[in-house]
Amino acid sequence: MNRLLVVDDEANIRLLYAEELADEGYEVVTAAGTAEAVEKLREAAFDLVVLDIKLKNESGIDLLQKLVKERHDMPVILCSAFSCYKDDFSAWLADGYVVKSGDLSELKQEIARVLAKKAQRQRAGL
Amino acid sequence: MDWECCWDRDVVALGDCPNIREGDEDLLESPRRRILEKCCDCPNFRRDLERFQTSGHPLGPVFSLIHDEYRRQKIHIQSLLSFLDSKSLEIRFFHELGSVLQSSVDLEEVLSVALTAITAGRGFGMNRAFLLMTDHQRDHLQGYLAIGPRNFEEAHQVWDEIASNDMDLQTLAQSFRKNKLSAERAKFHDILEQISVPLANTDHILIKALDGKQPLLIEDAYHHPDVDPAFARLLGVDTFLLMPLVSRNRRVGMIIADNCITHRRITAEDMHSLETFTFPVAFAIERASLYERLQEELNRVTEAHTKLKEQQELIVRMEKMALVGRITSSIAHSIRNPLMIIGGFARSMLKNTPAGDPKRNFIESIVSEARQLEGVLDEILNYSDSLYPTKDFWDVNQLVETALRDSADALHARGYESTFSAGSELPPAYIDFKQVSYCLRTIIQCDLNGTGRRRVMHIRTHREGDAIVIRIQDHGRYLPQAELDTIMMPFSSTQEMGASLGLALCKTMLEKQGIPLNAQSVPENGIFFTIVLPIRKEEQ
Repeated sequence: MNRLLVVDDEANIRLLYAEELADEGYEVVTAAGTAEAVEKLREAAFDLVVLDIKLKNESGIDLLQKLVKERHDMPVILCSAFSCYKDDFSAWLADGYVVKSGDLSELKQEIARVLAKKAQRQRAGL
Repeated sequence: MDWECCWDRDVVALGDCPNIREGDEDLLESPRRRILEKCCDCPNFRRDLERFQTSGHPLGPVFSLIHDEYRRQKIHIQSLLSFLDSKSLEIRFFHELGSVLQSSVDLEEVLSVALTAITAGRGFGMNRAFLLMTDHQRDHLQGYLAIGPRNFEEAHQVWDEIASNDMDLQTLAQSFRKNKLSAERAKFHDILEQISVPLANTDHILIKALDGKQPLLIEDAYHHPDVDPAFARLLGVDTFLLMPLVSRNRRVGMIIADNCITHRRITAEDMHSLETFTFPVAFAIERASLYERLQEELNRVTEAHTKLKEQQELIVRMEKMALVGRITSSIAHSIRNPLMIIGGFARSMLKNTPAGDPKRNFIESIVSEARQLEGVLDEILNYSDSLYPTKDFWDVNQLVETALRDSADALHARGYESTFSAGSELPPAYIDFKQVSYCLRTIIQCDLNGTGRRRVMHIRTHREGDAIVIRIQDHGRYLPQAELDTIMMPFSSTQEMGASLGLALCKTMLEKQGIPLNAQSVPENGIFFTIVLPIRKEEQ
């Protein structure tokens, strides 16, 4: 079972993601900010991180850069209420970008796609 | 003594005196006036006077003496009267000339008046006049304008014309300006072009006259020590008058006048009259030139002011737009998050609610409304994005092909066929690729009400001057033009927020880049969308 870490400052969004992604067969752990996320990442291994960009007074992009540097084997999908960050070069470091919507199909598809790609890479020994 | 003349009669009858004709009847009964006006010049009276002189009467020689003196004085008075008349005419002419020159600030009008005055019979009556102007940028005295006939035939034609139209100086000058100015300029173009003398060439007779600030009458020009023979040949006359135009100490130009047709002698009096005339002309030319420059400066300043105003308005608009941008960003965060939570949980609940459950309809409504609100939010955010386009040069055919490929599924789902006629050798267009792509996809996929006969969409690209035109013909739709216009209006009150809002957004987005989007509804042929893309960077 793939383990996902969802990082979002909105408690209800964390709850929704946890419910919906668990239904999809993932093991979901949530974090409300970057510090908590780093702590969770240190405690256990994750297959993918779903990361919000605007986190109260923090930036998800900063965490993304840290993860790319230190955990380049762990894919990150950015999930934001803003579509404008799609054109931000920093956001291109992420493996996927999804604009938040009540319809979580796109997010689910993106998670499946990124995990499949990761599995493919692992199989190829890259 | 019997007198031949009737001077001794108090009253005479018509026919008694050969000098009294019809119209002079009042002299018949006035001996005093009759003697002074008629008898003194009458041969009969003169014979009577001679007979009286030789009659031996002591007063005989005295009367003859008085009579001779009277006649001499009379001739002198007549000559003075004639002189006064000519001076009155001259003063009237100067007054007329002065009034026109003083009131005009139009350079062409001043020049027309000046040259007409020199050459008109009522004015100085010269045959021909050349005006040279000082080009201060090049430091040259340069031929500018000339007036007059080039040969005898033309001269007679012009003089007859002037004689048959009794016009005052101003009317004459106006007529010249309106009907002949360009023709005269062209007529003497060959001569005017060759008269170009550096102001530093103080040996040249023109510069000498200009520096001397005095008129010069040049006679026997072909052999004159100060006159370049080439210059004399150019003018084609051996006698001409040089009149410098100087306003205060500023060298304005020069007038060359001659009698090349009639060869009438130019007198010292002509020269003095023209000298009096040159000062107001020089002053008027300088004033008109200054006024012209002032007008140009004023136009420049007005233009700069208008541009500044436009820039200020643009800054204000951009500030407002930036505010709109900040507001919409805030909306994105403040609305999208709760909206996704509502919609997301509603969907989650819907999954776990059995088909027959009465609550299912309510949950479906929440899902549907949340989806619609998310759509509206996307449109608003796209509008906000459209305020800041980023441009570069892009291949238009590739742009259309990509948009058609991206829209293939949507078109197929609606039973549409599409064709594309790509224009050959099109230059790249200067556009915001992302925005124009979005607009193209929206137009291709737009879901308008109204159905046409054939579900075919044809796209064509071609070049038109400095632009590339994308023409999209949607055979599958038909709408009345008024309705289509309303749909194209951004955030129109009559329009529902939904799929058709996309077209209005496209129009706004493209117009922000200066790209016109035209939509025309043609009965039986569907809707034609025309997008005109620039191929050059606009001047900022």
